[in-house]
Amino acid sequence: MSRARSWLRGRHRGSAAAKSEAGTLLPTRALLWLLAGFLVLLTPQWDRLPWWLIVACLLLAFWRWLAQQGTVRLPGRWSRLAVMVALTVAYGLTVRGQFSVDTAASFFVLAVGLKWLETRSSRDFFVLFFILTYLASVNFLFQQGILWTLVNLAGVVILLVSLQLLQGGGTGASLKSLRRLAVMSLKTLPIVVLLFVFFPRMAPLWSVPLVSSEARTGISDTMSPGDISSLAQSRERAFRVTFGGDIPAHRERYWRGLILDRFDGETWRQWQTEPQLRPGRVALDGGVGELQPGQYDVLMEASGQRWVYALENSVANSDNLRRAPAGLFRLQRPADTAVRYRMGLSETGALSRVDPLVAENRSRYLQLPSGTNPRARSLAEELRASSESPLALIGTLMNRFNTEAYHYTLRPPEMPDNSVDALLFDEKRGFCAHYASATTFLLRAAGIPARVVIGYQGGVSGAGGEYLIVRQYDAHAWVEAWIDGAGWVRVDPTAAIAPDRIELGIQDAMADEGSFLENAWASPERYRNIPGIQWMSLQMDRLNYNWQRWVVGYQGQFQMDLMSRLPGNIGLRELGYITAGVLGLAMLIAGVVAVFRHHGGSRRDPAARLIASWMRLLEKQGVQVPAGATPDQLARLTREHQPRAAKPAGNFAAALNSHYYGPSSTASARRTALSQAELKQQLGSVRRAIARRRNG
Amino acid sequence: MKKTLQRRWQYWINRRIPRSDRCRFDRHSIFILPTGAGVLFGVLLLVMLITGINYQNSLIYLLTFMLGAVFVAAMHQTHNNLSGLELTLLRPGEGFAGDDLPFSLRIAADHEAQGIQLSYPDQSPLTLTLSRAEMADGVLSIPVRQRGLFTPDRIRIETRFPFGLLKAWSWLRPETPAVVYPRPIRPVHAMEAVADGEELEATRISPGQDQVELRPWREGDLSARIDWKRFARNGDMSVADWQGEQGSPQWLDYDAFPGVDRELRLSYLASLVLARETAAQPYGLRLPGLRLEPDLGASHRARCLRALGLFGFERQTGSAVTAAREAVQ
Repeated sequence: MSRARSWLRGRHRGSAAAKSEAGTLLPTRALLWLLAGFLVLLTPQWDRLPWWLIVACLLLAFWRWLAQQGTVRLPGRWSRLAVMVALTVAYGLTVRGQFSVDTAASFFVLAVGLKWLETRSSRDFFVLFFILTYLASVNFLFQQGILWTLVNLAGVVILLVSLQLLQGGGTGASLKSLRRLAVMSLKTLPIVVLLFVFFPRMAPLWSVPLVSSEARTGISDTMSPGDISSLAQSRERAFRVTFGGDIPAHRERYWRGLILDRFDGETWRQWQTEPQLRPGRVALDGGVGELQPGQYDVLMEASGQRWVYALENSVANSDNLRRAPAGLFRLQRPADTAVRYRMGLSETGALSRVDPLVAENRSRYLQLPSGTNPRARSLAEELRASSESPLALIGTLMNRFNTEAYHYTLRPPEMPDNSVDALLFDEKRGFCAHYASATTFLLRAAGIPARVVIGYQGGVSGAGGEYLIVRQYDAHAWVEAWIDGAGWVRVDPTAAIAPDRIELGIQDAMADEGSFLENAWASPERYRNIPGIQWMSLQMDRLNYNWQRWVVGYQGQFQMDLMSRLPGNIGLRELGYITAGVLGLAMLIAGVVAVFRHHGGSRRDPAARLIASWMRLLEKQGVQVPAGATPDQLARLTREHQPRAAKPAGNFAAALNSHYYGPSSTASARRTALSQAELKQQLGSVRRAIARRRNG
Repeated sequence: MKKTLQRRWQYWINRRIPRSDRCRFDRHSIFILPTGAGVLFGVLLLVMLITGINYQNSLIYLLTFMLGAVFVAAMHQTHNNLSGLELTLLRPGEGFAGDDLPFSLRIAADHEAQGIQLSYPDQSPLTLTLSRAEMADGVLSIPVRQRGLFTPDRIRIETRFPFGLLKAWSWLRPETPAVVYPRPIRPVHAMEAVADGEELEATRISPGQDQVELRPWREGDLSARIDWKRFARNGDMSVADWQGEQGSPQWLDYDAFPGVDRELRLSYLASLVLARETAAQPYGLRLPGLRLEPDLGASHRARCLRALGLFGFERQTGSAVTAAREAVQ
């Protein structure tokens, strides 16, 4: 009995599906939204995934789309298997046996892409929905900036819309679904916020590093001439600093990161190699509480390295740092994600106290490759003979850098052999790394223990002057020399050659040369004369910084610290109770609201409302209407009152009767029941017919 | 044990949802549970939470809580989608045993209601969407095996809107029974000739047939009943009249099948009713205790079939039969 399927106003779900010819049962619009969700969720991964994987994912999704259009067919079992094997092999070749969350996430993306080829039923649709939702959380492992967060959430919203369209069987409206979702989210927002604040942040269960090895922009633990000048072309953020007290002057902002003390004639290295560590994740507990004067918080971007940057004479104020020799600090594990740490400034001279020069270290800081740079060696001899103290020697040397025609440039010439000699006597053009290398060489040759320090110098104020932003182009190399009685003293040849670099920053130092960020057309720094762009960029950075500090960084100690300010002794267990309480309360409120609303009585039969307004209409005309009059009675009363309204009234009464008692058996029209709007229209024509008398 | 539980559950539901042709669903009668996908969604949230804990990732916590909240909100949405809906059985279906009976149903909503599914066990469900406060009619086909009165135990109304992660459902337990006609079976032996319309015509118009009584034409007689051959022969307008005598071909008689089982007799009669109707030959129906005068047409056919369907149920008392009787009249 196929006529049993003849739905009058409803739509059978199968009818929409029957239209699509690709042998798939999914409503096209739902699939389109799901595909859009996939594309949006793929974007946060664009710089992390191998390019071929992104291309493959796009092609697979496109294939699915064409299949929906009926242009091509979804692959059969064997071709599906072939695609799967090919991509898995490509993946295996790219990854080469390394295992980390990063590679696992790539494989996950690959699996999502392959799933498109077997999305036929609503069951597959749900599977894709689930794995795409999980992809959103995987994205959060790698991207935590506020913009990426919004992109990710937008992706999830699109996925939820696609689910609604699937349920609507293709009849639902996308806009309506979006609005419904927005209302839902707004209503539940307080609960989400409370849960976010109170849900106890437990310790990690296991520790797998996020990334195995990844070439990141940043300082490395070797320095060849030219290394740092390539960094100077990157405006990527290295770290941001908030000070408890005043922000020190630009020329005092020397962020020490590494000591390089071994020179082979070309490259500076660390004497001690970094120990190999069991892979693990970086500790995120970066100190809590109000920043005291003399303290500062550094939020370092993921660097993939263990070393951190600190001002001279700093001490560690957070648990996630370890002290290293030479007044430096290390994280326990490489920073595979953004990490915050806290430092304190101690009394001056701490640097020499923490790192006194013992006899065996003296030879280490005097080491030089034999037989290189003869001219520099003779200059050192000369200086030593003419100076009465090491300090005086350093003064002479700096004076020489200052007065002679040495140039600070981002475009240094090639100096392959005896680079120190070439720089000092022939080319006289170099970047900070060249001058630091040459100065250390000279000092060592003159018998003064010296070492190269690399890190950053400077940093610009963020919006509102609340914090400092240090970027990769602030990377710097300078020198520390051991002066008996004074300890390690900072010596910066760059300050003598290009004072602007130290006083104002690299951008001003390079203003004449025009070589700063010369290939980065899009960077706001290039357009700092146009106030709007720079302002926007800084505001965006501030938003992101606060987001990172207060939302992304809301973890472990941070939560405990916040809780300790609330009355009561709130620990993890109490947080658990609070969370349960919040959930219970939310359920209770929702339940009470639901019950209340159903008793509210607004849910009356729509037709009954129309009858009531018909009655009121007649009463207004002075007609006595008995309570509980039926539509037929009302029609009779209307006819008696105004014969011209007899026809619309009769029709309306018939329609109402049909609403209540079903259509008459002879009705041949397929649309037997009139919609609410149509009933309303009929009432309108009754009203007009009655009103016509008044006018006429 | 399982059976006992199931019986108790049925009993509990039946008490909760009394039989009625019209049911307005509210929180007393709506049941709601996560679907399979909903359970999986819960597992996904758990996995996400563990990921968030393990990688100390606040944003994953945030996403998990948001999705969890959406799930809870969806619970209310799904419930509200069904709540306030009124499902009415407009007309119970009529048809032959073994067929699908069309049950006319009407949903009236006081709010937008999407993806409402009506179903009967083992039948493909029907989905409809009310895009605003209005109503929608539909026909649900329900298979019936036995002749007589049939009341569907439960018509299920279900919705999984908006996300398909939760299902809210309830039942309509109609009161008015459907009348199920006997399954038509062609009689094989005795009445074969009668069943065949052509042959019947031949016997009827041949003069001297015992069963056929000819009487003069009166105004109002059907032209089909006039014996035109006789008219051509001698100009008499005579009309074949089968009224009166038992066993006349005009009468479909319960007693014409001696030795045949009651149900089979009824099936034979049903088949004959259909055959006569197709051949456009008037017929009357005689059942023990019931006599329907010869006539032709849809309503006569329905009356006869209903009588056949209800035969033997008259002894039963109760409102259901009364209601069905009214339907027969």
